[in-house]
Order: sequence, then C-alpha cells, then structure tokens
Amino acid sequence: MTRKIDRRTFGKGTAGLLLGSTFLGGARSLRAQYAAPAEGGRRGGKLTVGSIVEPPALDPFHQGADARIQVTVLMYQGLMFEDASGTAQPLLAESHELSQDGLTYTFKLRRNAVFHGGRPMTAADVKYSYDYVRNPENGSPGAGDYATIEEITVLDDHTVQMRLSEPNAALLMTLTNKYGGVVPEGYFADQAARARMNQQSVGTGPYMLAQFQPNSFLTLRRNPDYWDENSGLLDEITFVYLPNAASMLVALRSGRVDMAVLSRPQDAAQIEDAANLEIRRFPSFNQKSIDLDLAYEPLAPLEVRQAIALAVDKTKIMQAAIGGFGTVIGTMPAGMQEGWGAPVDELPNQGPDLARAKDLMDKAGHAGGLEVTLTTIIGYDWMDPAAVTLAEQLKPIGIDLQINKVDLGVWINNFRSRKMGFTFNDWGTQPDPSLLFYRHFHKQPEGADFRNWNDGPGSELLDKGRQESDPAKRRAIYVEFQKRLAEQVPTIMMFSSDHVVVSSKKVKNYRHHPTGWYFGLADAWVEET
Amino acid sequence: MAGYLVRRLLAALVTALLSSLAVFLLVRAVPGDIVAQMLGQAGGDPATEQALRGFFGLDRPVWQQYLAWLGQVLQGDLGTSWTQGLPVAGIVGQAFAVTLELGLLTLIVATAIGVPMGLVAGIHEGRLLDNVIQGINILGLAAPVFWIGLMLLIGASALIGWSPPFMYSPPGQDLWQNLQILLLPILSLGLLQAVAYSQFVRQSVVSALQQDYVRTAIAKGLPQRKVFFKHILRNILIPLVTFMGLILVQILGGVVVIESLFALPGLGRLLLTSIQNRDLPVVQGGLLLVVGVALSLNILIDTLYQYLDPRMRR
Amino acid sequence: MSMALPGMAHRDRRDGAIRLLRELRRRPELVLALAIVGFLLFTALFPWALTDLSPTEVDVAGALQPPSATHWFGTDDVGRDVFARVIYGTRVTLSIVAGSLAISAVLGGLAGLVAGYFGRWPDMVAARGVDVILSFPPIILGVVITGVLGTGVTNLVMALAIVYLPLFFRIARAGAIAEAGRTYVEAARSLGVPEWQILVRHVLRNVLPLILVQYMILFPLALQIEAALGFLGLGIQPPMPDWGAILEQSKNYLLFAPWMSVFPGLFIVLAASGVILLGRSVQKIVDAA
Repeated sequence: MTRKIDRRTFGKGTAGLLLGSTFLGGARSLRAQYAAPAEGGRRGGKLTVGSIVEPPALDPFHQGADARIQVTVLMYQGLMFEDASGTAQPLLAESHELSQDGLTYTFKLRRNAVFHGGRPMTAADVKYSYDYVRNPENGSPGAGDYATIEEITVLDDHTVQMRLSEPNAALLMTLTNKYGGVVPEGYFADQAARARMNQQSVGTGPYMLAQFQPNSFLTLRRNPDYWDENSGLLDEITFVYLPNAASMLVALRSGRVDMAVLSRPQDAAQIEDAANLEIRRFPSFNQKSIDLDLAYEPLAPLEVRQAIALAVDKTKIMQAAIGGFGTVIGTMPAGMQEGWGAPVDELPNQGPDLARAKDLMDKAGHAGGLEVTLTTIIGYDWMDPAAVTLAEQLKPIGIDLQINKVDLGVWINNFRSRKMGFTFNDWGTQPDPSLLFYRHFHKQPEGADFRNWNDGPGSELLDKGRQESDPAKRRAIYVEFQKRLAEQVPTIMMFSSDHVVVSSKKVKNYRHHPTGWYFGLADAWVEET
Repeated sequence: MAGYLVRRLLAALVTALLSSLAVFLLVRAVPGDIVAQMLGQAGGDPATEQALRGFFGLDRPVWQQYLAWLGQVLQGDLGTSWTQGLPVAGIVGQAFAVTLELGLLTLIVATAIGVPMGLVAGIHEGRLLDNVIQGINILGLAAPVFWIGLMLLIGASALIGWSPPFMYSPPGQDLWQNLQILLLPILSLGLLQAVAYSQFVRQSVVSALQQDYVRTAIAKGLPQRKVFFKHILRNILIPLVTFMGLILVQILGGVVVIESLFALPGLGRLLLTSIQNRDLPVVQGGLLLVVGVALSLNILIDTLYQYLDPRMRR
Repeated sequence: MSMALPGMAHRDRRDGAIRLLRELRRRPELVLALAIVGFLLFTALFPWALTDLSPTEVDVAGALQPPSATHWFGTDDVGRDVFARVIYGTRVTLSIVAGSLAISAVLGGLAGLVAGYFGRWPDMVAARGVDVILSFPPIILGVVITGVLGTGVTNLVMALAIVYLPLFFRIARAGAIAEAGRTYVEAARSLGVPEWQILVRHVLRNVLPLILVQYMILFPLALQIEAALGFLGLGIQPPMPDWGAILEQSKNYLLFAPWMSVFPGLFIVLAASGVILLGRSVQKIVDAA
C-alpha cells in the first residue's frame, strides 16, 4: 500500500546527459523522450496494469496526489516534458527562446496538437490553462510554482509569451506535466467541469479516459487523433486497483495483471522464480527521509538534531524497509546526485558515528535520556520496519523513540500546518534543485518552510540558485546549500528506492520514468499471444 | 398493528436523524480535510487553501453546512462526491448493489450449511454428532472473518494454485467472473453466519423437542419424519425467517474488512476509502443508507414476526 | 459459581473442594474453558516464562525465516520472533479487549440501570443515544472514532468501549425495568428505603449476573473487532506486539511467509473459543440455578 506522499522528483537519469537549459529543442521526436524508440512495435492489444494506489480523482489542476499524476500524464500534457535525464524538453511547445534579461520566454507551439474530441489546440488554450493554474484563487496545488510568471500573452495562434517578475531557472521544468496541462479555453467556466474530468478527459495526450470505476479500475483508450503518430501503440490500458502487495504478487503470478510497479521493491524476491515474469529495476527520483520540525521541543537544540543524524545508519534502515532495492543518499535524491548533489564525503553529520552522537547529546544536556515521538503513516509499508529499526539505532544515544502511526490525512494536515514533529516522509520532485528545495526549505512567506527552519543563509542561497542561469554556478550554489542543510539537519534524507517493474514477457518496450509516472506506457506494446 | 408500525417508524426516523447529525459532526472532527489532501506537500498558499475550502463549502459554520445538507437530503438529493464529482446517490447505490449481492449469496450459503447442521445437532442432542457440530460452531464463532479470508487465500493458492480475479464485474456483465470474485468472500463471511444459524436452529429444535405436543406425538408413535416436518420444522420456521433478517443486518455491517481484503467495490470499502479521502458527502450518504437499511430491516423483521406468529398479535 | 445456599457456609472447605471437583467432572466444557483461559492468563501475566526471545528485537539479517526449533512460529519481516510477539501480544490484546469491555460494562450498565429504574426523560434520552450508536456497523464506527481520536492504545480502548456500550446499556435497562416492578421494590419503597439504596442493594445485585454473561458473550466479538481494526492499521502503535497488528504486518507476506498470519490468528481463535466456552458454561450454571 505504499503511496508517494507527493512527488516532485526528477533529476539526472542514468543516461547521464548534461543538465542545463536547452534553448532550442524540438528536433528530437517525442517518442525518444517518453521511452526508447519502439523497433517493430505492434499496434493494438490491451494491457492490464496492477496498482495498489488509486487516484482519488483525475483532475490534474486541483488534485495533487501522486497516484493522480501517475496516470493523468497519459491524458494531459504541458508545454514541456520532464526528460528522464533531468532536462525539460519541448512537448506541446515546439521550441522556446529566452530573452537576454532572462525575463521573457517565447514558445512556438506544436501545430498538430488536438484535444480529445478533435478540436485543435491553439495559443489561446495555452494562455487560458496556465493563467488558470497559476491563479491561487482557482485552488490548484501547483499555483505556487508559477508565482514568478507575471503575464502570459498570445502573440499569434501558435506563439505564446510568458513574462517573469524575476529570472527563474526552474521555469521550464515547472511547465511540465505535474499540475495542470493544456485544456480547451474556458473549460472551467462551468462549475461542474472539474468533476467531469473523472468521466471524460479533455487533454492532448496519447490516451483518453474510457471509464473510471473507483475502488475497482480505470480504463484508458488510445487517442486516434494523437499528434505523434508513432506513439500510443496499445488500444487500451486498464489499471486495476488491488488491495495490498500480497494480492499484487498473486495477480502477477496468475497472469491476471500484465504489469505492475511493486509498491514494495523487496517483493521482487517473492516472484523471482516465476518463469512468465520479467523483473526490471529503474532508478527513481524519490526520497525516503526523516523530517525534523525545529518547533518540536526535543528537536530544537542543534546538537540533538546532529546527534540523531550521526546515530542513523541509513543502510540498515534501507535494508529493513525495502531490502537492497535502493540507493543510500546524502542530501539529493539518487537520480539527481550526479547533476546537483554535493559529494557525500564533503557533507557534515553523516553517520553512523555513535561516539560523537553521544557527545552531542551530553552537550545538549540529555545525558540522562530523551523521549522523542516519531510519526509514521498508515499504509506506507516501508515505514513500520524502518521505524522499529530507527528506534533501535537511537537507543544507544539515549533517545527513547515512541512511534505514532497516523492516517495520511492527519499527517498531511500536521505537515501543512507546520506541526510535523519528528516524522518519516516519502516525497519527490521534478528534476530541478529549485523545485526540490525552494518551497520546502525557504523561510516564510516566500517558501512554506514546513519544518520551521527559518534559516536566513539557506534561504539566501535558494534565492540565488533560482535566479542563476549558468549551470556550473548554479550547481555550486546548491552544493553550498546542501552543506548548510546537512549542518543544520532540518531533514535527514535516507535513501531513494528503485522502481521495480514486474511484467509479463509479452510486454515490450516499457521504460519506467524516474518519477514513477506512466509516461512509458505511451510507447509500450504487447506481443500477440 | 398500524399504531405499532407508526410508532416504530417515527422512532426510526428520529434515530436516523440523530445518526445523521452524529455522523456529520464526527466526520468533521477527523483532523485533516479534503483540501489538505488535495494540496499535499505542494501548494502552501493560503489563498489557494481558502479558495478550495470555499469550493466545498467548508468555510461555513458547521450547523449551516448540516442544515444545507439535511435540506438536500429531504429533497432526495444526497449531494455530490467531492472526489469523483458524481451524485452520491449513484455512487452509494452502485456500491450497495455489490454488498447486497454478497450479503444475499452469503445468506443463501449460510442457510444451506447452517440449517441442516443445526437440525442434525438438535436431533442428536447430547450425542457425539451434536458435540462435533457444537465444536465447529465454537471455532466458527471464534475465528475473525478476515483471518478466515486470509487462510482461504493462502489455502487456495498453495493447494490448487488458484487466486480470485481482482477486477470486479457486475453479475449482469460477466456472471462467471462475478461469482469467482465473490467465492472466497462468501465463504469467509458464510462460515460465521452458518454457525450462528446452526446454533440458533439447534436451540430451536431442542426446545421444540421438549414441547408437550411434540412429546405426545412421539409417544403416540407418529413416524419420525412426520414429527420432524409437521411439528419441529414448522415450529422453527418463524423464528428462522426473522433470524435471517438479523443475519443480513450483521453481514451488511461486517463486510468492511472482507471487501477491502478482496478488493470488492462494495459499500464497506467505499466508506473506508471515503473516510480516508475525506470525501464527506459520500461518507454521510453511505452511512445514512447503512443506518436506513438496518433500521428498516429491523422494523420489517419485528412486523413480520408479529404477523406470522399469532401469539404475538395483540 | 455454585449458588450459595444459606447453610453451605458452615460446611468445611474440604467439602467445598470435593463438590467443586464433582461439578467440574460433570462439565468437561467448563474444564476445557478454564484450561484455555487459565493458559492465556498465565501467558498474559508471565510471557517471559514461555519464551526467552524478545518480541521487539530487530534482526534484519534473520528476517522471514520459516518455523524452526529456535523460532517456533518463524520470524517476521524485520527478523523478530513471531512466537515471542504472539506470546507478548497476549497481554496487550487481551487487556485492550477486557479493559474496553469493562469500561462499557460499567458505564453502559450504570446508565442502563438508572435509565431503566427511573424511566421518563433520562431513559428517553439515553435510549435514543444508544440507538444512534447501534445503528452503525461496529467496524465503521471504530474507524471513525479512531479517526477522530487518533490511533494508540488509549484511543483504541475508548473506541471499543463506545462501540459496545449500548449492548450493556440495553441489558441493564431491561433488567432494571423488570426489577423495578417487583414487589420487593415496592415493599422497600413503602418502608422508606431511599431510592438509591434500593437501586444499589437490590436492583444492581440482580442485574449484575446479566451484565457478566453479556460481558462474556461480547468478549469474542470485541476481540474480533480489535483484531480487525489492527488489521486495518488503526490499532496500537509499533513496536508493541498485538495480534491484530501482527496480522496487519503479515498481509504483505501472505504466500511467502504464511506463518506470520497463521499463528496469531490461531491464538485469536483459541482465546475467543475459550471465552465462548466459559460463557456457555456460566450461562448453563446460571440457568440451572
């Protein structure tokens, strides 16, 4: 039942392409971006994908749940695409240009993009959609990301201009597929339109909604008018929602589902022996972390936070939580480490170092012991074993760890109201350091500062990093920020878990995107059986 | 009789009204609303939050929200789901159909197993067969339904390599698939209800056998079969019918975990996920239905009992 | 257990013991029930006498081992001994169930007693409240209440107590109504005995056995609800061992490590059937008296 709390991860993929802004994209065909080219791919056929997480709703503008993003990326598209290698590539835009002062972006739009239902997409639709999503009054969780956009202007039917209030090196990555997407102009004028998205899709993507039966299944049908004729090979994709990881394994074995991304990567060991199945690992941009709320009294002293960081043995916790199916990290999700991460050996407070941790606890005046409560979330399977392992690791430094399991809704409520305490977290980012750090760690009111860090120097670095467009300089700024983060310990990033995809051997050419979103299904196909 | 019915109906209405108020207040007391869920760890903008709260009417005082909802309900409108955007009545009705099918099939299975078991045990009161059946009854009452479900899943997979399909299809669409999905849930629920039945029937038979006229009939040398059908079976028929209703109420209330375990899109699972998603209109509508069904079944049972049993007619 | 007759107190103790033994021989069911309940009580009080292993010690390297001579019930996903967890879980699970039922018996019983004895508007109000609680399916009610209160032992106990309160209320109320009409109550009243004294001395004493029987009838049901809530993840907090919570944890390993789900379930069955047997024996003795 593992769910991603919220996914904003991305970064450098395995391909190892250089990061940085590409100002003239559009030459590459989209299929190479969604997945690898499908050599001799067969058209037609159906695919059943098993999933444990179910989207509460399919509205990409207002519903922030990761389970929603996973599937709506097949139906709705933004101007850009979050390439697996960590760059923003043109999607509904054909090309883009940035003015000298770094404040004006001009987008040339794809001319053959058509909405589900047949109406061609124009610049007015793009302006409408982004104006809608960035207006906080419209209630989109993505609104904050677009705060630097000052004005969107239609230059002609196929050209749109965005003017910024200040340079924002992360803008192109913001225009990707997490929130919103381009929908027909005026779509939301009708109050009931939001709800209708659960019955009918109105995007430009390769698949359109056929039927959504909550607590049961979701069926997508190929969009016959899709603008990239090489994409969208399957006739039909059905997501079946299963109750737990064990029934997923049963369903895979028995062939009742053709493919699934394991919610618990270590479950791969339970089906290794199945001859009809193929197991593959893909890197991911998520992070499992321990968050430390500085307003939570026991964690207020810096020494205590540093002692905890030094006492934690990330490898052991990962082993207990997800087996060996992940990568221990420092201050950057594994997939973004190469492009943006500070070298782990240069980071302070990386353990385990019990002697120093104990010293710090003594210095903080807690030689006699300290009681701390860790919050975990019901339904996140990795958290239970991780919590008991963490409790064992903190015992030697005199911390008595109580575990408090709460419902996801309660947890999010605490998190958003900045009362998270000491908690596990499970989140991601689009592959840009500003999108990763800014909202979470910049002090208020610009950032949300969920952990009550309220750090001046750190916030300054985040401001500088967002404005800097030179990739090398930008990287240096973020390395410095990460050192600050590791020094101050408002969070302890533990590990990124791999995406483990199990599929029947008839499924071909599926590549799982590092976000965990199902972009790859647009290019997958099935062998005739 | 009519006066009695009116009184019962009025009492049920008051209960339903109070229950709806209790639900309304309780679900709003659960921390974290749908807005927080939708925004997740992303949007932190207060304006966004406020806009969404306004959209769902969560910015109004609770009593206003309740009266508005109640007014709608009285006009036959259960409102609109906050997540799916569809009318609650349709969502809840669809889920209830699944649960009802499960309940009725369970009832049939439980009756088919439980009644003969109880008859046999009752006739053999105090003898070995009775003791064996009573032992089974105790184990059946003691085992948690969801655990039986787990064991059946393990057993079916380990012994015959079979697992139920996970994609629910209504009986009208694909009956075979439908029955395959329902098989294990019916068995898990059915066992508990069968032993409850068996207990009940055994008790009825035992007490019927102690009745004077039955004793007389046996003493007169009436053939056993005739005694059985004419006196005993007829005697327990009425309580049996009413007991059926009780069992149905129990099944409908007890399906929550089983539906979740076997991925059935029934009312129990709907309520559970709607509570998790903070989709309050669905929770309210669903619980209203559950309460309504339970109350009306109870009235139906009592009325039926009074009607069927001449001794109860006043 | 045996009903005290006036003369009996004078007989010596040995005589009583013999009578008890004779009684037990006539009731094998009761013997079995006492054996099971006795075993569980022992387990709950002295878990360390049954196992040397720790229920909370993590050993990731030794995870998911099948039952063996060292690990009778195998190990779980972080390498804890399942036998030790089940044994230590006995106290946790049973005291949650026993405690919550005791709370609802006291509160529900008292409310029912007062409502039934005095009638009129307190009765009306209480009866409606009870109807409201009863109109919800127990598990859903448990889910909503733990949702409002949060998880954890205290809240779980409260939730279960609320769920079962109405049943005690009804029993006590019915008993009190029946007693209130009896002649001895009238007689006491006419002698000027205060109402509360009649209530406590006479009515309560006669209603108490009913509540006791009800307690035993509800125990297995409450145990199952407790386990179900634990299975839904709404029960106690880790790493505390609890039967339902162990089952919840086991659901990801259903086929791979079935021992994690089989054994805790068997203990639930054992405990519930022990109490059912005990309840039936007690009921028979009460009926016979």
